[in-house]
Amino acid sequence: MTPAASRSPGVARTARWIVLGLLLVFSTLTLLPFLWMVCASIKTPEDYYTHQFLPTGGGFLGIAWDRLTLNNFVRLFREQPVARAILNSVMLSSVCSVLATLCCAAGGYGLSKFVFPGRRLITNGILAAVVLPPVLVLGPAFETLYHLGLLDTYAGLILPTVAPAFGLYLFRQAMINSVPGEIIESARIDGCGEIRIFFQIVLPLVRPMLGAFLIITFLGTWNNFLSPQIILQNPERQPLSVAIFHLRGLYGADYGMIMAATLISIAPVMALFLYLQREFISGLTSGAVKG
Amino acid sequence: MSSRRPHPAWAPWLFLAPFLLFFAAFGAWPLVRSFVLAFEQTFGPRTTVYVGTLNFRFLFHDPLFWAAVRNTTVFTIGTLVVQVPVALALALLLNRPDLRGRSLFRLIFFSPTIVGSIFVGVIFSLLLEKRTGLVNTLLHAAFHSWNPDFPWVDGFVMPSLLMASLWLSVGFNMSYLLAALQNVPADQLDAAAIDGANAWQRFRHVTLPAIQPVIGILVLLTVVGALQLFDLPFILYADSFGNGPNNAALSIVTYLYQTGFRSGDLGYASAIGWILTIALVLIALGYRWLTRGEDAAA
Amino acid sequence: MKSFFAGFVRTLSPGIALVLGLGIISAVIVALLPLQPRGGIQIWLGDGNHANLYRALAPEWNSRHPDLPLTVSLISGPALQSRMLSGFYSGTPLPDLIEVERGQIGQVFAGPLKDVGFVDLTDLLARDGLKDEIDPASYSPWTSRGRIFGLPRGAHPVMLAYRSDLVEAAGIDVRRIETWDDYFRLMRPLLQDLDGDGYIDRYPLTISLTNASFSEIFLIQGGGGYFDGMGNPLLNSDANVRIVARLATWYAGPGRVIGDINMYTGAGLRLLREGYAVAIPSADWYVGNYPVTLPSLAGKIKLMPLPAWERGGRRTSANGGTMIGVTKASKHPEIAWELAKFLYFSPVIARQLYDLTHIVSPVKSTWSASYYDRPEPYFCGQPVGRLLQRAIPDIPPRPSSPYLSSAVQLVNSVITQLMAITDRQGYVRPEQAAGDARRLLDEAQHTLLDQIHRNVFQASPSP
Repeated sequence: MTPAASRSPGVARTARWIVLGLLLVFSTLTLLPFLWMVCASIKTPEDYYTHQFLPTGGGFLGIAWDRLTLNNFVRLFREQPVARAILNSVMLSSVCSVLATLCCAAGGYGLSKFVFPGRRLITNGILAAVVLPPVLVLGPAFETLYHLGLLDTYAGLILPTVAPAFGLYLFRQAMINSVPGEIIESARIDGCGEIRIFFQIVLPLVRPMLGAFLIITFLGTWNNFLSPQIILQNPERQPLSVAIFHLRGLYGADYGMIMAATLISIAPVMALFLYLQREFISGLTSGAVKG
Repeated sequence: MSSRRPHPAWAPWLFLAPFLLFFAAFGAWPLVRSFVLAFEQTFGPRTTVYVGTLNFRFLFHDPLFWAAVRNTTVFTIGTLVVQVPVALALALLLNRPDLRGRSLFRLIFFSPTIVGSIFVGVIFSLLLEKRTGLVNTLLHAAFHSWNPDFPWVDGFVMPSLLMASLWLSVGFNMSYLLAALQNVPADQLDAAAIDGANAWQRFRHVTLPAIQPVIGILVLLTVVGALQLFDLPFILYADSFGNGPNNAALSIVTYLYQTGFRSGDLGYASAIGWILTIALVLIALGYRWLTRGEDAAA
Repeated sequence: MKSFFAGFVRTLSPGIALVLGLGIISAVIVALLPLQPRGGIQIWLGDGNHANLYRALAPEWNSRHPDLPLTVSLISGPALQSRMLSGFYSGTPLPDLIEVERGQIGQVFAGPLKDVGFVDLTDLLARDGLKDEIDPASYSPWTSRGRIFGLPRGAHPVMLAYRSDLVEAAGIDVRRIETWDDYFRLMRPLLQDLDGDGYIDRYPLTISLTNASFSEIFLIQGGGGYFDGMGNPLLNSDANVRIVARLATWYAGPGRVIGDINMYTGAGLRLLREGYAVAIPSADWYVGNYPVTLPSLAGKIKLMPLPAWERGGRRTSANGGTMIGVTKASKHPEIAWELAKFLYFSPVIARQLYDLTHIVSPVKSTWSASYYDRPEPYFCGQPVGRLLQRAIPDIPPRPSSPYLSSAVQLVNSVITQLMAITDRQGYVRPEQAAGDARRLLDEAQHTLLDQIHRNVFQASPSP
């Protein structure tokens, strides 16, 4: 970006070190809470109160390695239904994201690649809905679930997330940008059924958006707290986000266990993120930058 | 045109059906219902009474509602003032072509966003504890006049929330800006350099205008997100159900939640929801109006 | 068909395949895992001690009622409240009996009387001749519009638990203390900056300043409170103004004498151990906490009656507590009522509860028990039970109302604002803060009345 010809090598090198230094400072600040959390989860309660990070002692680097313990994690799994909460979170996040992705992809395809009466009305209606805050429909959606008898069921939590207006908007854009009408036409001429066209031709063309939306929805559902808290009452059905919150209530003073639980909650998503970094970031930023 | 084989009439409906079905049930219908509910008073979903405009009339002199509006507005402004410049600064730092390890830094800054607001809330509620929390200990070590008891008075609520929210979202905003910076046309920058412009002038006259649309979108997203603040205060001040000391942490969405799901008055909650929605729609319209020239110019 | 799926699979990137696979596997596992079957009689409660106590009684109950075994579920406070309210509002699953805390009961009474989720016990108590067995003030938090909806676990008298080692070392004789003025005058030597950093490290009295239930202790002791017996709010009564003004100068300003600790966290308890806290107003259930959470303070803690607001005034108050109620959703209300009576009226259980938690039963016939006179080594040989029991008849009533949580929130807000004003203006004497106190309490009363008039489900309280 910066033409090298305009600066002397000495200035350029100093600038580079300053930049690196600043970045290191900010990175440390960003990582500090994580570090603190990891330390808190492997300390005993007494050490928690007396040392901020790792307990000092006679060991290597002046740290008392022998006082670190995995007991918090052990107690967590033994005394709390954490394994079940993890299962619930995984199930809810993956099912919601798969269903929502499919539904929005199909809807985006139908809305953008066909001409039919009422198309403009539906398009404008759903685009307008993107602006509305989800919290507006929280109460009436709860009421609807009550009348359908879906309160305290997984279906009651999953089904409302299957048709987000924002998803339809994203897929409609993706279809318009990446799926040329000619390919569909020639497939039809070749005698392909509509469903086959969708799965074999259209979906591969929007694969980046598929991946990105899948991951956005997965992350959103994994971290969602408000809806599960309201809709699911039976603690055996609750995902990690709610389980951790209630852990704070019951064991307010057991900081080690709370941090251990938090660590377990964010580890899977972090791992997924590391594995699928590029898709994550491109998906989250695609709506704005590319328009 | 005539050689094209038209699609069967049922085809679009087949693909739209699942979406439309669930959207109607959980999007459109609740929207309509929320409009009606705003004119009712309920005690849970079973008991409703029509009350006309009572909810809205009460809303206008409800001190708790106005406290929520005040807090949420302060938070939104604070977020804008803090987050966007910091995100821009980080993006600029990361944009340098001679930087090694850019992916690693980006990863680090983005990681709190992945953690999610709930867990950020839990982590920060411990970090901000009196005497044993990291924040208090560091501040006390740095400034001996800082009382390590961290009195939970209203004055400290907003900084705590802003701190947690900054940590949570700065990576997200930074990624947007970084992507935008990397799309700034290099030839324009080269031309400016050849014309003798220094780094600041290049930034101000080439880079800034080029990323202005993205900054605009970021501001919009930040404002919309900040106005819907709920998770952080709810977790940080869980003992008071998200109110905080002297209601200093009460946000509009928290108040909506308390009214609808603790007191069971879904009607009043809907009224609050509509006020918030109207504000958001006005903001979105304002944004469209402000950026109306851009599509033509681009 | 095969080529169809082959084509589809080719679409998948590794990320998509991973999520899809996770979804299918986890959905199958969840569908196959049975949720715990719920049958018999169920109790939900939030207190670990109670849970242990009742679970120990389960074998005896189960042998008498083999078709309805007892299940006790321990649920954290906010979760308990949220599930209870959701059950009352929307019919989500509820147990037969719920133990509810004082702080959570307000919302339950918020709707029409017929929609209260608990069974009205007033007639049942009369029918079984049990109403007068219990100290009358203990019913007040669980009563709405004249009807009783829960049995009280205790009367919960409040006494002052203090560090006798520190107090006696300073040469202070607590028997000379009769009023709060006496208390803060005589305890002055214990207001100390121990490490010279300019911050007071020891206060003669400490409470959780941000927890509204502590201010309530002072309010009802001094003749104030939130509601009168008819459910009318009296936030700006003269007594309240007087007391709140006094509290502001105790909590804040140059004359601050009360410290702030969070009594329910590990950090707070550490402060007790370190001697930051010299005395804490403690209800019977909190007194029971000391031997368990602070064993190192054995022989260093004693109880004394609360100093009165004026000479000859009340020397106790009430704080916290739980009730047990039968839910209308219960499929076996009569059996549930039988269990509730068993748990709450049985002298055997009363004794076990006292041994475990120091809660003194409100059932009058248990008061003469000899175990209350037992000297307790932890408390320097004091007969703690007897001291608590003797305070019970003096306890002021704590009327409940659908608007209890609003009232508590409003008054707490007034106190916080008054504290800020006191700090800013440097008030030291209550008279200085009285004007602001009256103004703020008038506003709070006005706000509460507005809320009451808005609610169409309540019959307006009688004027």
